Amino acid sequence: MECVVQGIIETQHVEALEILLQGLCGVHRERLRIHELCLKSGPNLGLVSSEVRLLCDLEQPEPTWTVRQVGGAMRGAGAEQISVLVRNTVESKISKNALRLFYALGYQLDHEQLRVGFAFHFYRGAQITVTVSSINKMLKLHAIDDAVPVTPGIQLVEVTAPASSENYNEVVAAVSSFCEYLAPLLHLSKPGVSTGVVPTAAAAAASLMSDGGGATL
Amino acid sequence: MPIKWVLHWQPNAGASVNTQILTEVSQCVEGINGVKEGRWKSTISFYKPIVRDATNTSLEFARDFLGISLQEHPGKYYFVLRAQRMIVEAESSIQTIMEKLQSYKTRVALNFEGVQYQVGDFQLRVGKVITVQHDSLRGIVMEMEYLPISSWEKSHKIMGEFFDIWQEALSKRSLPGHFVHIEPNFREYGLSDEYSPQHTAAQYTGIMAQLIATAHSAQAAQAAHAVRQ
Repeated sequence: MECVVQGIIETQHVEALEILLQGLCGVHRERLRIHELCLKSGPNLGLVSSEVRLLCDLEQPEPTWTVRQVGGAMRGAGAEQISVLVRNTVESKISKNALRLFYALGYQLDHEQLRVGFAFHFYRGAQITVTVSSINKMLKLHAIDDAVPVTPGIQLVEVTAPASSENYNEVVAAVSSFCEYLAPLLHLSKPGVSTGVVPTAAAAAASLMSDGGGATL
Repeated sequence: MPIKWVLHWQPNAGASVNTQILTEVSQCVEGINGVKEGRWKSTISFYKPIVRDATNTSLEFARDFLGISLQEHPGKYYFVLRAQRMIVEAESSIQTIMEKLQSYKTRVALNFEGVQYQVGDFQLRVGKVITVQHDSLRGIVMEMEYLPISSWEKSHKIMGEFFDIWQEALSKRSLPGHFVHIEPNFREYGLSDEYSPQHTAAQYTGIMAQLIATAHSAQAAQAAHAVRQ
């Protein structure tokens, strides 16, 4: 299970966001370069169609693979009221023949993308991960070196934290309160609920850049 | 990691496996100064696809594959696709992912469990093969692990010699069968000479094939017997 919110930011303000995050988290950023393959079950396989994601971490000396299954979001009146999406996810590290395995099991490539950017991992009431990345598409199958941005000039910001059915309320609170600190630069909301860029971003970014990231909590 | 041979019990024609054989095999290990070290357990599940339209027989996916959890690698899980000669290593949470995908499900699960012994530099594990659902005895297996060596090739001589000693010790008990070692073609699975858990998974896959073949021939023999009567 995980809690997640997303937002977008113009690339010109990413540096300011990085300074802010650095100040808030007190840890250094990690580079992010992930090749993501989305696979869907073939026409006659399974009672219902299913989807699975393979993530190849290209930042490691030897690329590592993870298989990830994202389940349905939590529903009900309580879930509607909170500003964070709570959903089931299961991950497993897997050997590098993962793609061959899922092809053999009857899964087909639906789409693939390359995420390039950086991430912060830190603890603030919950184990939070913030990723800031540009989403790139491949013009040819698996041609990650020739990937081009899907939305030039715009980057995706994602805040996630692992949770369980026992503690998700606390994790939601931790994620929500952290997101408030980023509000001058970007709005974060449930995935699929687009709120666009914020009008205060340019001024907030200018202020952050001028005081060199002195913002602390 | 240390190399090991996984052996399975081949009953003589007309004979079957029973717990008495398992008891005698265990006594035989103790007879060659095997020191009991505790219990062990590995599990193999047989996955089959869930198809929407059973009349559509075009196979665009694997007909079956094995999921293996090994005692000595508790956080890991192995998939073996025999037809494709593929072994995949994942974390054990992959089992939850497979359940959630609902594209394949486990039809049969077998436990391999028993007692672990130490004999000098060898570790021996003797165990019964039982179905998880019914607890019925399906076979007997034995793992023969040689701790100092991890090269399959280099260990071949000493493993062969130990296997002969073991067979000789066991032959004195005149049991209705013997242990067999079938060496898989590791290269076909893309495995090197350096022993790994994937090698163990490949060996268990061979044993599963044998167990299925034995079960089928036993069923066929029973059917023939019934017809004669």
